[in-house]
Amino acid sequence: MREYQANNQAATEKIATELAKELKGGEFLALSGNLGAGKTVFVKALAKALGVKENITSPTFVLMKVYDISPLKSRQKTKAEGKFSKLDGGKVDKFVHIDCYRLSGQEDLFEIGLGDYLNYNNIIVAIEWADKLVNLPATAIKIHMELLGEDKRKISIA
Amino acid sequence: MKILAIESSCDETAIALLEGHGQILQLKKNAIYSQIDIHKKYGGVIPEVAARKHTETIIPLIDNTLGKSKLKNIDYVAVTSGPGLVTSLILGMATAKALAFANHLPLVSVNHLEGHIYSNWLSNSSLARNSQKYLPALILLVSGGHSELILMTSHGQYQILGQTLDDAAGEAYDKVAKLLHLGYPGGPIVSSLATEGNTQAYNFPRPMIDKENYDFSFSGLKTAVLYTLEKKKKISKKDIKDICASFQAALIEVLVKKTIKAAKVYKVKSIMLAGGVAANQVLKNTLLKQSREIGLPFFYPDLKYTGDNAAMIAVAAYYNVRFKNNNYILKDKNIFDLEPQANWRLGQNKSKI
Repeated sequence: MREYQANNQAATEKIATELAKELKGGEFLALSGNLGAGKTVFVKALAKALGVKENITSPTFVLMKVYDISPLKSRQKTKAEGKFSKLDGGKVDKFVHIDCYRLSGQEDLFEIGLGDYLNYNNIIVAIEWADKLVNLPATAIKIHMELLGEDKRKISIA
Repeated sequence: MKILAIESSCDETAIALLEGHGQILQLKKNAIYSQIDIHKKYGGVIPEVAARKHTETIIPLIDNTLGKSKLKNIDYVAVTSGPGLVTSLILGMATAKALAFANHLPLVSVNHLEGHIYSNWLSNSSLARNSQKYLPALILLVSGGHSELILMTSHGQYQILGQTLDDAAGEAYDKVAKLLHLGYPGGPIVSSLATEGNTQAYNFPRPMIDKENYDFSFSGLKTAVLYTLEKKKKISKKDIKDICASFQAALIEVLVKKTIKAAKVYKVKSIMLAGGVAANQVLKNTLLKQSREIGLPFFYPDLKYTGDNAAMIAVAAYYNVRFKNNNYILKDKNIFDLEPQANWRLGQNKSKI
Protein backbone atom coordinates (compact mmCIF):
# COMPACT_ATOMS: atom_id res chain seq x y z
CA MET A 1 0.00 0.00 0.00
CA ARG A 2 1.15 3.50 -0.86
CA GLU A 3 0.04 6.56 0.97
CA TYR A 4 0.20 10.15 -0.20
CA GLN A 5 -0.80 13.49 1.17
CA ALA A 6 -2.07 15.97 -1.38
CA ASN A 7 -2.11 19.58 -0.21
CA ASN A 8 -4.04 20.95 -3.15
CA GLN A 9 -5.95 19.95 -6.27
CA ALA A 10 -2.84 19.98 -8.46
CA ALA A 11 -1.16 17.49 -6.12
CA THR A 12 -4.14 15.13 -6.34
CA GLU A 13 -4.04 15.40 -10.11
CA LYS A 14 -0.34 14.59 -10.15
CA ILE A 15 -0.84 11.40 -8.13
CA ALA A 16 -3.59 10.33 -10.54
CA THR A 17 -1.39 11.09 -13.55
CA GLU A 18 1.45 9.01 -12.10
CA LEU A 19 -0.91 6.11 -11.47
CA ALA A 20 -2.20 6.32 -15.05
CA LYS A 21 1.32 5.66 -16.32
CA GLU A 22 1.44 2.35 -14.46
CA LEU A 23 -1.73 1.01 -16.04
CA LYS A 24 -1.50 -1.33 -18.98
CA GLY A 25 -5.14 -2.19 -19.65
CA GLY A 26 -7.71 -4.47 -18.03
CA GLU A 27 -7.36 -2.81 -14.64
CA PHE A 28 -10.21 -2.10 -12.34
CA LEU A 29 -9.85 0.92 -10.04
CA ALA A 30 -12.08 1.01 -7.00
CA LEU A 31 -12.32 4.47 -5.45
CA SER A 32 -13.82 5.18 -2.07
CA GLY A 33 -14.12 8.20 0.19
CA ASN A 34 -16.85 10.57 1.28
CA LEU A 35 -18.48 13.42 -0.62
CA GLY A 36 -15.87 16.06 -1.33
CA ALA A 37 -12.93 13.69 -0.79
CA GLY A 38 -11.73 14.42 -4.32
CA LYS A 39 -12.67 11.25 -6.21
CA THR A 40 -13.97 13.10 -9.25
CA VAL A 41 -10.88 15.31 -9.44
CA PHE A 42 -8.74 12.16 -9.28
CA VAL A 43 -10.67 10.35 -12.02
CA LYS A 44 -10.68 13.39 -14.30
CA ALA A 45 -6.89 13.68 -14.11
CA LEU A 46 -6.44 9.94 -14.55
CA ALA A 47 -8.64 9.90 -17.64
CA LYS A 48 -6.83 12.85 -19.14
CA ALA A 49 -3.46 11.14 -18.60
CA LEU A 50 -4.80 7.99 -20.23
CA GLY A 51 -5.68 9.94 -23.34
CA VAL A 52 -9.41 10.58 -22.96
CA LYS A 53 -10.08 13.71 -24.98
CA GLU A 54 -13.63 14.34 -23.87
CA ASN A 55 -14.29 16.16 -20.64
CA ILE A 56 -15.26 13.69 -17.91
CA THR A 57 -18.55 14.64 -16.28
CA SER A 58 -20.24 13.06 -13.30
CA PRO A 59 -21.84 9.71 -14.17
CA THR A 60 -23.92 9.78 -10.99
CA PHE A 61 -27.18 10.04 -12.86
CA VAL A 62 -26.63 7.51 -15.62
CA LEU A 63 -24.36 5.34 -13.46
CA MET A 64 -21.87 4.66 -16.21
CA LYS A 65 -20.14 6.59 -18.98
CA VAL A 66 -17.83 5.06 -21.56
CA TYR A 67 -15.11 7.15 -23.20
CA ASP A 68 -12.81 6.49 -26.13
CA ILE A 69 -9.09 6.66 -25.55
CA SER A 70 -6.99 7.96 -28.36
CA PRO A 71 -3.91 5.70 -28.21
CA LEU A 72 -1.82 8.02 -30.33
CA LYS A 73 -2.34 10.90 -28.00
CA SER A 74 -1.40 9.00 -24.87
CA ARG A 75 1.75 7.85 -26.61
CA GLN A 76 2.73 11.37 -27.62
CA LYS A 77 2.02 12.66 -24.19
CA THR A 78 4.26 10.21 -22.37
CA LYS A 79 7.03 10.56 -24.95
CA ALA A 80 6.99 14.30 -24.54
CA GLU A 81 7.56 13.78 -20.85
CA GLY A 82 10.50 11.59 -21.69
CA LYS A 83 9.06 8.52 -20.07
CA PHE A 84 8.19 5.15 -21.42
CA SER A 85 4.62 4.17 -20.73
CA LYS A 86 3.14 0.72 -20.71
CA LEU A 87 0.30 2.23 -22.70
CA ASP A 88 2.72 2.60 -25.57
CA GLY A 89 1.25 -0.39 -27.32
CA GLY A 90 -1.78 1.79 -27.84
CA LYS A 91 -4.18 -1.07 -27.35
CA VAL A 92 -6.16 0.47 -24.51
CA ASP A 93 -9.01 2.23 -26.26
CA LYS A 94 -11.81 2.57 -23.71
CA PHE A 95 -12.19 4.17 -20.32
CA VAL A 96 -15.28 3.30 -18.30
CA HIS A 97 -16.30 5.66 -15.50
CA ILE A 98 -18.86 4.44 -13.00
CA ASP A 99 -20.39 6.13 -9.99
CA CYS A 100 -22.25 3.99 -7.46
CA TYR A 101 -23.28 6.96 -5.34
CA ARG A 102 -26.97 6.34 -5.94
CA LEU A 103 -26.83 2.61 -5.36
CA SER A 104 -28.17 1.03 -2.22
CA GLY A 105 -25.14 -1.09 -1.46
CA GLN A 106 -26.50 -4.50 -2.40
CA GLU A 107 -25.53 -4.85 -6.03
CA ASP A 108 -22.59 -6.52 -7.63
CA LEU A 109 -20.84 -5.51 -10.83
CA PHE A 110 -23.05 -7.59 -13.08
CA GLU A 111 -26.27 -6.19 -11.72
CA ILE A 112 -25.25 -2.69 -12.74
CA GLY A 113 -24.46 -3.83 -16.28
CA LEU A 114 -20.69 -3.87 -16.01
CA GLY A 115 -20.34 -7.46 -17.19
CA ASP A 116 -19.59 -6.27 -20.72
CA TYR A 117 -16.56 -4.28 -19.63
CA LEU A 118 -14.68 -6.44 -17.17
CA ASN A 119 -11.32 -8.10 -17.76
CA TYR A 120 -10.71 -6.80 -21.26
CA ASN A 121 -7.15 -5.71 -21.91
CA ASN A 122 -8.31 -2.74 -23.95
CA ILE A 123 -10.46 -1.31 -21.18
CA ILE A 124 -9.68 0.50 -17.94
CA VAL A 125 -12.52 0.82 -15.45
CA ALA A 126 -12.72 3.38 -12.62
CA ILE A 127 -15.53 3.10 -10.08
CA GLU A 128 -16.39 5.83 -7.59
CA TRP A 129 -18.16 4.79 -4.39
CA ALA A 130 -16.90 1.26 -5.06
CA ASP A 131 -17.51 0.46 -1.38
CA LYS A 132 -21.20 0.34 -2.28
CA LEU A 133 -20.66 -2.74 -4.42
CA VAL A 134 -20.44 -6.28 -3.16
CA ASN A 135 -17.97 -8.90 -4.41
CA LEU A 136 -15.33 -6.61 -5.87
CA PRO A 137 -12.71 -8.54 -7.84
CA ALA A 138 -9.58 -9.37 -5.79
CA THR A 139 -7.39 -7.77 -8.43
CA ALA A 140 -9.03 -4.37 -8.00
CA ILE A 141 -6.68 -1.45 -7.31
CA LYS A 142 -8.19 0.17 -4.25
CA ILE A 143 -7.90 3.93 -3.93
CA HIS A 144 -9.15 5.50 -0.75
CA MET A 145 -9.39 9.26 -0.34
CA GLU A 146 -9.93 11.17 2.83
CA LEU A 147 -10.36 14.85 3.56
CA LEU A 148 -7.90 15.95 6.26
CA GLY A 149 -8.75 19.63 6.31
CA GLU A 150 -9.53 22.33 3.81
CA ASP A 151 -7.79 21.31 0.55
CA LYS A 152 -5.68 18.63 2.31
CA ARG A 153 -6.30 15.01 1.38
CA LYS A 154 -4.88 11.62 2.20
CA ILE A 155 -4.79 9.20 -0.72
CA SER A 156 -3.96 5.55 -0.26
CA ILE A 157 -3.49 3.13 -3.13
CA ALA A 158 -3.48 -0.62 -2.54
CA MET B 1 -51.62 12.63 -36.23
CA LYS B 2 -51.88 10.40 -33.16
CA ILE B 3 -48.77 9.42 -31.25
CA LEU B 4 -48.31 6.85 -28.50
CA ALA B 5 -45.18 7.68 -26.50
CA ILE B 6 -43.23 5.57 -24.03
CA GLU B 7 -40.63 6.88 -21.59
CA SER B 8 -38.60 4.70 -19.20
CA SER B 9 -35.17 6.31 -19.02
CA CYS B 10 -34.83 6.25 -15.23
CA ASP B 11 -37.25 5.43 -12.44
CA GLU B 12 -40.57 6.56 -13.90
CA THR B 13 -42.60 4.47 -16.32
CA ALA B 14 -44.64 6.84 -18.45
CA ILE B 15 -47.09 6.54 -21.33
CA ALA B 16 -48.82 9.32 -23.22
CA LEU B 17 -51.22 9.74 -26.08
CA LEU B 18 -50.99 12.95 -28.09
CA GLU B 19 -52.99 14.23 -31.01
CA GLY B 20 -51.39 16.94 -33.07
CA HIS B 21 -52.85 18.87 -35.99
CA GLY B 22 -50.77 21.66 -37.43
CA GLN B 23 -50.27 24.14 -34.63
CA ILE B 24 -52.64 22.50 -32.17
CA LEU B 25 -51.40 19.96 -29.65
CA GLN B 26 -53.93 17.94 -27.70
CA LEU B 27 -52.69 15.73 -24.93
CA LYS B 28 -55.26 12.92 -24.63
CA LYS B 29 -53.63 10.80 -21.95
CA ASN B 30 -50.62 11.16 -19.70
CA ALA B 31 -49.91 8.32 -17.28
CA ILE B 32 -46.90 8.09 -14.99
CA TYR B 33 -45.96 5.37 -12.60
CA SER B 34 -43.33 6.76 -10.28
CA GLN B 35 -41.06 4.42 -8.38
CA ILE B 36 -39.80 7.14 -6.09
CA ASP B 37 -41.31 5.64 -2.94
CA ILE B 38 -39.66 2.32 -3.70
CA HIS B 39 -36.22 3.85 -4.15
CA LYS B 40 -36.58 6.33 -1.32
CA LYS B 41 -36.05 3.66 1.31
CA TYR B 42 -32.70 2.79 -0.26
CA GLY B 43 -31.68 6.44 -0.57
CA GLY B 44 -31.15 6.16 -4.32
CA VAL B 45 -32.16 4.44 -7.52
CA ILE B 46 -31.35 0.76 -7.86
CA PRO B 47 -31.09 -0.10 -11.54
CA GLU B 48 -32.15 -3.75 -11.14
CA VAL B 49 -35.22 -2.82 -9.10
CA ALA B 50 -36.10 -0.02 -11.53
CA ALA B 51 -35.88 -2.38 -14.50
CA ARG B 52 -38.05 -5.03 -12.84
CA LYS B 53 -40.65 -2.44 -11.90
CA HIS B 54 -40.75 -1.11 -15.48
CA THR B 55 -41.41 -4.68 -16.66
CA GLU B 56 -44.35 -5.03 -14.29
CA THR B 57 -45.98 -1.67 -14.94
CA ILE B 58 -45.47 -0.92 -18.60
CA ILE B 59 -48.10 -3.16 -20.19
CA PRO B 60 -50.93 -2.37 -17.73
CA LEU B 61 -50.13 1.35 -18.18
CA ILE B 62 -50.35 1.05 -21.96
CA ASP B 63 -53.60 -0.93 -21.71
CA ASN B 64 -55.10 1.73 -19.47
CA THR B 65 -53.94 4.56 -21.68
CA LEU B 66 -55.22 3.10 -24.92
CA GLY B 67 -58.48 1.73 -23.53
CA LYS B 68 -60.84 -0.17 -25.79
CA SER B 69 -59.67 1.33 -29.04
CA LYS B 70 -56.23 -0.26 -28.49
CA LEU B 71 -53.81 0.79 -31.21
CA LYS B 72 -56.54 1.66 -33.71
CA ASN B 73 -56.06 5.23 -35.01
CA ILE B 74 -52.48 5.44 -33.71
CA ASP B 75 -50.14 6.72 -36.41
CA TYR B 76 -46.77 6.62 -34.67
CA VAL B 77 -45.11 5.00 -31.70
CA ALA B 78 -42.45 7.15 -29.99
CA VAL B 79 -39.87 6.07 -27.44
CA THR B 80 -37.02 7.57 -25.43
CA SER B 81 -33.78 5.88 -26.48
CA GLY B 82 -31.35 7.92 -24.40
CA PRO B 83 -29.73 9.38 -22.44
CA GLY B 84 -30.54 7.44 -19.29
CA LEU B 85 -29.97 4.23 -17.39
CA VAL B 86 -29.38 1.58 -19.99
CA THR B 87 -31.15 -1.11 -17.96
CA SER B 88 -34.26 1.10 -17.78
CA LEU B 89 -34.18 2.35 -21.38
CA ILE B 90 -34.16 -1.20 -22.70
CA LEU B 91 -37.59 -1.99 -21.23
CA GLY B 92 -39.45 0.90 -22.82
CA MET B 93 -37.63 0.38 -26.09
CA ALA B 94 -38.35 -3.35 -26.32
CA THR B 95 -42.03 -2.63 -25.71
CA ALA B 96 -42.14 0.20 -28.27
CA LYS B 97 -40.31 -1.82 -30.90
CA ALA B 98 -42.64 -4.80 -30.52
CA LEU B 99 -45.78 -2.62 -30.65
CA ALA B 100 -44.59 -0.70 -33.68
CA PHE B 101 -43.39 -3.71 -35.64
CA ALA B 102 -46.39 -5.92 -34.94
CA ASN B 103 -48.82 -3.15 -35.90
CA HIS B 104 -46.86 -1.85 -38.91
CA LEU B 105 -46.40 1.56 -37.35
CA PRO B 106 -43.33 3.79 -37.72
CA LEU B 107 -41.21 4.15 -34.59
CA VAL B 108 -39.82 7.57 -33.62
CA SER B 109 -36.65 7.53 -31.50
CA VAL B 110 -36.58 10.53 -29.17
CA ASN B 111 -33.75 12.06 -27.17
CA HIS B 112 -34.88 12.46 -23.56
CA LEU B 113 -33.41 15.99 -23.36
CA GLU B 114 -35.24 17.03 -26.50
CA GLY B 115 -38.37 15.83 -24.72
CA HIS B 116 -37.62 18.14 -21.79
CA ILE B 117 -37.20 21.07 -24.18
CA TYR B 118 -40.57 20.31 -25.76
CA SER B 119 -42.27 20.28 -22.37
CA ASN B 120 -42.35 24.03 -23.02
CA TRP B 121 -44.50 23.49 -26.12
CA LEU B 122 -46.83 21.37 -24.05
CA SER B 123 -47.21 24.10 -21.44
CA ASN B 124 -47.40 27.22 -23.62
CA SER B 125 -49.89 27.13 -26.48
CA SER B 126 -48.44 30.35 -27.90
CA LEU B 127 -45.24 28.41 -28.64
CA ALA B 128 -47.15 25.71 -30.51
CA ARG B 129 -49.18 28.30 -32.41
CA ASN B 130 -46.24 30.32 -33.57
CA SER B 131 -42.89 28.61 -32.99
CA GLN B 132 -41.06 30.75 -35.51
CA LYS B 133 -41.73 33.89 -33.53
CA TYR B 134 -39.70 32.48 -30.63
CA LEU B 135 -36.84 30.74 -32.46
CA PRO B 136 -33.91 30.74 -32.14
CA ALA B 137 -34.34 30.11 -28.43
CA LEU B 138 -31.85 29.74 -25.65
CA ILE B 139 -32.63 26.82 -23.38
CA LEU B 140 -31.31 26.26 -19.89
CA LEU B 141 -31.74 22.55 -19.27
CA VAL B 142 -31.15 21.62 -15.63
CA SER B 143 -31.87 18.31 -13.96
CA GLY B 144 -30.32 15.64 -11.79
CA GLY B 145 -28.16 14.47 -14.65
CA HIS B 146 -27.74 17.55 -16.84
CA SER B 147 -26.89 21.24 -16.82
CA GLU B 148 -26.68 22.53 -20.34
CA LEU B 149 -27.12 25.74 -22.27
CA ILE B 150 -28.59 24.88 -25.63
CA LEU B 151 -29.19 27.04 -28.68
CA MET B 152 -32.24 25.80 -30.54
CA THR B 153 -32.19 27.34 -33.99
CA SER B 154 -35.24 25.53 -35.35
CA HIS B 155 -37.20 22.35 -34.68
CA GLY B 156 -34.78 19.48 -34.13
CA GLN B 157 -31.69 21.69 -34.54
CA TYR B 158 -29.58 22.13 -31.44
CA GLN B 159 -26.18 23.39 -30.53
CA ILE B 160 -24.81 22.83 -27.03
CA LEU B 161 -23.15 26.10 -26.03
CA GLY B 162 -21.99 24.93 -22.63
CA GLN B 163 -22.48 22.25 -20.05
CA THR B 164 -21.37 21.21 -16.61
CA LEU B 165 -17.78 20.03 -16.39
CA ASP B 166 -18.54 17.82 -13.39
CA ASP B 167 -21.77 17.60 -11.37
CA ALA B 168 -25.21 18.58 -12.65
CA ALA B 169 -27.21 21.29 -10.86
CA GLY B 170 -29.81 18.83 -9.53
CA GLU B 171 -27.02 16.54 -8.41
CA ALA B 172 -25.46 19.40 -6.42
CA TYR B 173 -28.80 19.84 -4.64
CA ASP B 174 -28.92 16.10 -3.89
CA LYS B 175 -25.38 16.04 -2.56
CA VAL B 176 -25.81 19.11 -0.36
CA ALA B 177 -28.96 17.50 1.03
CA LYS B 178 -26.89 14.41 1.78
CA LEU B 179 -24.19 16.46 3.54
CA LEU B 180 -26.88 18.08 5.67
CA HIS B 181 -28.64 14.72 6.27
CA LEU B 182 -31.88 15.99 4.78
CA GLY B 183 -33.01 12.97 2.77
CA TYR B 184 -33.64 12.09 -0.85
CA PRO B 185 -34.40 13.55 -3.37
CA GLY B 186 -32.59 16.68 -2.26
CA GLY B 187 -33.85 19.38 -4.64
CA PRO B 188 -37.30 20.05 -3.16
CA ILE B 189 -36.04 19.76 0.45
CA VAL B 190 -33.11 22.15 0.02
CA SER B 191 -35.12 24.71 -1.95
CA SER B 192 -37.93 24.68 0.59
CA LEU B 193 -35.52 25.18 3.53
CA ALA B 194 -33.79 27.90 1.50
CA THR B 195 -36.93 30.03 1.52
CA GLU B 196 -36.51 30.47 5.29
CA GLY B 197 -32.77 31.10 5.24
CA ASN B 198 -30.47 34.05 4.67
CA THR B 199 -28.95 33.98 1.18
CA GLN B 200 -26.01 36.07 2.34
CA ALA B 201 -25.11 34.18 5.50
CA TYR B 202 -22.34 32.30 3.69
CA ASN B 203 -20.34 33.51 0.76
CA PHE B 204 -20.12 30.33 -1.32
CA PRO B 205 -18.13 30.43 -4.55
CA ARG B 206 -19.82 31.20 -7.86
CA PRO B 207 -17.86 28.68 -9.94
CA MET B 208 -16.81 29.85 -13.40
CA ILE B 209 -19.11 32.86 -13.30
CA ASP B 210 -16.62 35.17 -15.01
CA LYS B 211 -15.16 32.61 -17.41
CA GLU B 212 -15.59 33.49 -21.06
CA ASN B 213 -17.58 30.38 -21.84
CA TYR B 214 -20.96 28.83 -21.08
CA ASP B 215 -19.75 25.88 -19.03
CA PHE B 216 -20.70 25.23 -15.43
CA SER B 217 -19.01 23.47 -12.53
CA PHE B 218 -20.88 22.58 -9.35
CA SER B 219 -18.65 19.97 -7.73
CA GLY B 220 -16.59 22.64 -5.96
CA LEU B 221 -19.71 24.35 -4.63
CA LYS B 222 -20.68 21.13 -2.86
CA THR B 223 -17.13 20.87 -1.47
CA ALA B 224 -17.37 24.47 -0.20
CA VAL B 225 -20.52 23.50 1.70
CA LEU B 226 -18.63 20.53 3.13
CA TYR B 227 -15.73 22.76 4.30
CA THR B 228 -18.22 25.09 5.98
CA LEU B 229 -19.77 22.16 7.83
CA GLU B 230 -16.39 20.77 8.88
CA LYS B 231 -15.50 24.07 10.54
CA LYS B 232 -18.65 24.17 12.63
CA LYS B 233 -18.88 22.30 15.88
CA LYS B 234 -22.63 22.43 16.18
CA ILE B 235 -25.10 22.93 13.40
CA SER B 236 -28.40 24.54 14.32
CA LYS B 237 -31.64 24.49 12.33
CA LYS B 238 -30.99 28.10 11.41
CA ASP B 239 -27.52 27.18 10.10
CA ILE B 240 -29.07 24.54 7.85
CA LYS B 241 -31.59 27.00 6.44
CA ASP B 242 -28.88 29.62 5.88
CA ILE B 243 -26.58 27.11 4.19
CA CYS B 244 -29.42 25.96 1.91
CA ALA B 245 -30.30 29.58 1.04
CA SER B 246 -26.69 30.64 0.43
CA PHE B 247 -25.93 27.51 -1.61
CA GLN B 248 -29.02 27.98 -3.77
CA ALA B 249 -28.25 31.68 -4.28
CA ALA B 250 -24.75 30.82 -5.55
CA LEU B 251 -25.96 28.10 -7.89
CA ILE B 252 -28.81 30.15 -9.34
CA GLU B 253 -26.68 33.25 -9.79
CA VAL B 254 -24.28 31.28 -12.01
CA LEU B 255 -27.05 29.59 -14.01
CA VAL B 256 -28.91 32.84 -14.64
CA LYS B 257 -25.89 34.99 -15.40
CA LYS B 258 -24.61 32.59 -18.07
CA THR B 259 -28.10 32.12 -19.54
CA ILE B 260 -28.68 35.86 -19.93
CA LYS B 261 -25.21 36.40 -21.34
CA ALA B 262 -25.68 33.67 -23.95
CA ALA B 263 -29.12 35.02 -24.84
CA LYS B 264 -27.59 38.40 -25.61
CA VAL B 265 -24.59 37.07 -27.51
CA TYR B 266 -26.65 34.72 -29.70
CA LYS B 267 -29.45 37.27 -30.18
CA VAL B 268 -32.19 34.75 -29.46
CA LYS B 269 -35.89 35.54 -29.52
CA SER B 270 -36.79 33.76 -26.31
CA ILE B 271 -35.40 32.05 -23.23
CA MET B 272 -36.69 28.69 -22.00
CA LEU B 273 -36.16 26.60 -18.92
CA ALA B 274 -36.41 22.79 -18.94
CA GLY B 275 -35.70 19.73 -16.80
CA GLY B 276 -36.42 18.71 -13.23
CA VAL B 277 -34.81 21.82 -11.68
CA ALA B 278 -37.34 23.89 -13.69
CA ALA B 279 -39.61 23.20 -10.71
CA ASN B 280 -37.48 25.59 -8.64
CA GLN B 281 -39.47 28.74 -7.98
CA VAL B 282 -36.50 31.02 -7.23
CA LEU B 283 -34.82 30.00 -10.48
CA LYS B 284 -38.03 30.69 -12.42
CA ASN B 285 -38.58 34.08 -10.77
CA THR B 286 -34.99 35.19 -11.33
CA LEU B 287 -34.98 34.14 -14.98
CA LEU B 288 -38.36 35.78 -15.56
CA LYS B 289 -37.18 39.06 -14.08
CA GLN B 290 -33.88 39.14 -15.94
CA SER B 291 -35.42 38.03 -19.26
CA ARG B 292 -37.85 40.93 -18.98
CA GLU B 293 -35.00 43.32 -18.36
CA ILE B 294 -33.48 42.40 -21.73
CA GLY B 295 -36.88 42.36 -23.39
CA LEU B 296 -37.16 38.63 -24.09
CA PRO B 297 -40.12 36.32 -23.49
CA PHE B 298 -39.39 33.60 -20.94
CA PHE B 299 -41.06 30.18 -21.09
CA TYR B 300 -41.05 27.44 -18.51
CA PRO B 301 -42.89 24.12 -18.30
CA ASP B 302 -45.90 23.52 -16.05
CA LEU B 303 -44.86 21.90 -12.80
CA LYS B 304 -46.43 18.58 -13.82
CA TYR B 305 -44.21 18.42 -16.92
CA THR B 306 -40.89 19.29 -15.25
CA GLY B 307 -40.21 15.72 -14.14
CA ASP B 308 -39.89 12.78 -16.48
CA ASN B 309 -43.04 12.12 -18.49
CA ALA B 310 -44.06 10.67 -21.85
CA ALA B 311 -46.17 13.64 -22.96
CA MET B 312 -43.03 15.65 -23.70
CA ILE B 313 -41.62 12.68 -25.64
CA ALA B 314 -44.79 12.61 -27.75
CA VAL B 315 -44.49 16.33 -28.52
CA ALA B 316 -40.83 15.98 -29.53
CA ALA B 317 -41.81 13.06 -31.78
CA TYR B 318 -44.62 15.13 -33.29
CA TYR B 319 -42.22 17.88 -34.37
CA ASN B 320 -39.67 15.33 -35.58
CA VAL B 321 -42.33 13.84 -37.85
CA ARG B 322 -43.75 17.19 -38.92
CA PHE B 323 -40.38 18.59 -39.85
CA LYS B 324 -39.24 15.31 -41.36
CA ASN B 325 -36.28 14.60 -39.15
CA ASN B 326 -36.14 11.22 -40.85
CA ASN B 327 -32.96 10.06 -39.13
CA TYR B 328 -35.03 9.21 -36.12
CA ILE B 329 -38.02 7.59 -37.80
CA LEU B 330 -37.74 3.84 -38.33
CA LYS B 331 -39.94 1.47 -40.23
CA ASP B 332 -40.44 -2.28 -40.53
CA LYS B 333 -37.37 -4.40 -39.90
CA ASN B 334 -35.17 -1.34 -39.33
CA ILE B 335 -37.02 -0.84 -36.08
CA PHE B 336 -34.88 -3.56 -34.56
CA ASP B 337 -31.66 -1.69 -35.33
CA LEU B 338 -32.51 0.87 -32.66
CA GLU B 339 -30.38 0.50 -29.55
CA PRO B 340 -30.32 2.39 -26.26
CA GLN B 341 -27.81 5.21 -26.15
CA ALA B 342 -27.10 5.87 -22.50
CA ASN B 343 -24.99 8.96 -23.24
CA TRP B 344 -26.75 10.34 -26.33
CA ARG B 345 -25.72 13.98 -26.65
CA LEU B 346 -28.32 16.34 -27.99
CA GLY B 347 -27.49 17.63 -31.44
CA GLN B 348 -25.08 14.78 -32.05
CA ASN B 349 -25.75 13.37 -35.46
CA LYS B 350 -25.72 9.67 -35.15
CA SER B 351 -23.97 7.95 -38.02
CA LYS B 352 -26.41 5.12 -37.67
CA ILE B 353 -29.28 4.54 -35.33
